[in-house]
Amino acid sequence: MSGSIIGHNALDRLLDQRPDLWRGDRQRRRDALATGSALLDGALPDGGWPRGRLVELRLERLGLGELELLLPMLATQTRQGRPIALIAPPLVPCPQRLASAGMDLTRLLVVRPGKHAAWVAEQCLKSALFAALVLWLPTRQCDERQFRRLQLAAETGEAPLFVCQASTAPVTTSAMLRLQLHAGGEVEILRGRLGARATRLRPTAGNIVPLRA
Amino acid sequence: MSTLWAGLFCPQLALQARLHAAPIEPHTPLAVHEVLGGCTRIIEANRAAHALGIQPGQKLADALAIAPRLQVRTRCRTTERQLIDRVALAAYHYSHQVAPGDDGMVLEIGASRRLHGNADALLARLLADLDQAGIVVRSGSAPHPAAACLLARHGRHVGDRAALDALLQHWPLDRLGLANREYQRLAGLGIKQLGQFLDLPRFERTRRLGSALNQHIDRLCGRVPTPLNYWRPPEQFRQRLELPCPSDRHEALLFALNRLLDALGHWLRVRDRALAALAVELHPEDRGRAIELEAGLHRPGFDRERLLDILRLKLEPVRLVSPIEALVMRAARTSEACPGQADLWGEHNAGDAWSALLDRLGARIGRERLCGIAPCADHRPEKAWRWTAPGTTATVNGRPDTPEPERPGWLLPEPKPCRINDLRLLDGPERIESGWWDGQDCRRDYWSAHDRHGNRLWVFREYKPHRGWFVHGLFD
Repeated sequence: MSGSIIGHNALDRLLDQRPDLWRGDRQRRRDALATGSALLDGALPDGGWPRGRLVELRLERLGLGELELLLPMLATQTRQGRPIALIAPPLVPCPQRLASAGMDLTRLLVVRPGKHAAWVAEQCLKSALFAALVLWLPTRQCDERQFRRLQLAAETGEAPLFVCQASTAPVTTSAMLRLQLHAGGEVEILRGRLGARATRLRPTAGNIVPLRA
Repeated sequence: MSTLWAGLFCPQLALQARLHAAPIEPHTPLAVHEVLGGCTRIIEANRAAHALGIQPGQKLADALAIAPRLQVRTRCRTTERQLIDRVALAAYHYSHQVAPGDDGMVLEIGASRRLHGNADALLARLLADLDQAGIVVRSGSAPHPAAACLLARHGRHVGDRAALDALLQHWPLDRLGLANREYQRLAGLGIKQLGQFLDLPRFERTRRLGSALNQHIDRLCGRVPTPLNYWRPPEQFRQRLELPCPSDRHEALLFALNRLLDALGHWLRVRDRALAALAVELHPEDRGRAIELEAGLHRPGFDRERLLDILRLKLEPVRLVSPIEALVMRAARTSEACPGQADLWGEHNAGDAWSALLDRLGARIGRERLCGIAPCADHRPEKAWRWTAPGTTATVNGRPDTPEPERPGWLLPEPKPCRINDLRLLDGPERIESGWWDGQDCRRDYWSAHDRHGNRLWVFREYKPHRGWFVHGLFD
């Protein structure tokens, strides 16, 4: 009898070898990229931006806050020689600003807005060439199926995919991590593996003072 | 190393050429006819037609009476020449001395033996290449070209001179490929084998049978050299393929394109070129305007799977209003083939996955949407950046001792006019006065300002050439 029963520890070790196996009683920290802000690193479930995951950023308006939030991580990756991609950014990213944040512009691919932006993101993820991808999706282009595809593509690689969309876009269920960016650079974790966090964080020095007319 | 010539013979060339240009179902009876002596006669027929009783030499009307289902085509010398060219292209990969004839060719393989292993291995690879292209050939080899040409018809391989002489000694005259009249004259002399003919005194042979026949036999035996016209691969690649039946299905078109890619690959290999851009024309059945597709490659080369993938993406948005009957493929741009080189994208670029990705993306969304972005040395902010090809942006050489003024994260592609009443100015002004040298003189004061919603904007007040307030960027 004793030979047929595998000890608890042995079973745990076997199960731990499978990163794709979800186990309710333990929260394993995934491999993560440092966000560049200790406050934010501490608040995120994996201690940073999770690799191989879709991260949903909800914004009051596209272009408000996401670049500031992601720039430290993006710049670090390019300086280490790994390419990054900005897919369908709503405006022109200012090269002087990117360079002053320490980004190596040779490692940057900008895909200008147009049709098939989500497809481009999917292909980039599948190529496994990029360290991180940021995709801006206008509200009319978001749907659940699209997100699911992107999530699956992200899981094949190491790169986190950030999907920026307006707060008015319909809520999807595919993203493992969803953040709301408020005016003033405040970040609210709407959905993470540890559940929603009520608190708002201010990872960067806020340069926006809300004006109430 | 001694010279060795290989002969290639295309059996049923007229039929093969027709089939190669326009394939049909394998079990359809097919015959090719030609006007011979004022009467249209069948000259070649495939196996299915033979089974129905069709024989070469039959009159066309008779053949159609015997087998009403028979598909017939007229003989087309142009497609025959194209097929011979296609074989020559494949053969040129193995030898630089390729001399095509009417229904086959000879190539020197003795000098290529060291590169390709022995002659048998070389011929086997050549035949496999041709088989893949759907061309049937018979091969033979001999120490000189005229004999190689003859032996190819009979599939015989002879390595050295003594063995060839022994073989030719007992070679029956009816298998020499002589004209009927000459054969009759030799038979009339009681000569059945080549050896008997060679035993006659040369003077008598010339007097009785003419010098042309003698010269032919002398070449065959290697006593006099055979004049040869060597083939050169064409400078440009352009090939047309007729579809067996007009089709508007993308899969059928891709299948046909795959065959053209095959020929293109051979051409690039023998010309030692790398493909930089590929052009494809689709000719619709109704003789309407041809649909043109062009695919550029980020890094010149030839990878058939990737090109097919790009063509599939290019075809995807094309709406075919009428079926396509023919395809033309061109090598629009080529460059010198060069071996792999170090890449800007460093060690993280697995092979040429990077250029493969750019080609794939560019094929669907357009190459111009894939960019890098570079700062430019200009004080006017709208001229201080430009789109570049991805990965080519030079590293910025900032001057650390002179701090750059703060720039917003986002720029508007063009400054937009705005009303100052809606804004609250915060920081500024930064005076920019520039451009007097290129006629786009401007004078502006840049400010950062809050709008009603609390967004920080980058705005300027212009004095010259227009007056007014403009938004130029958005602080992140």
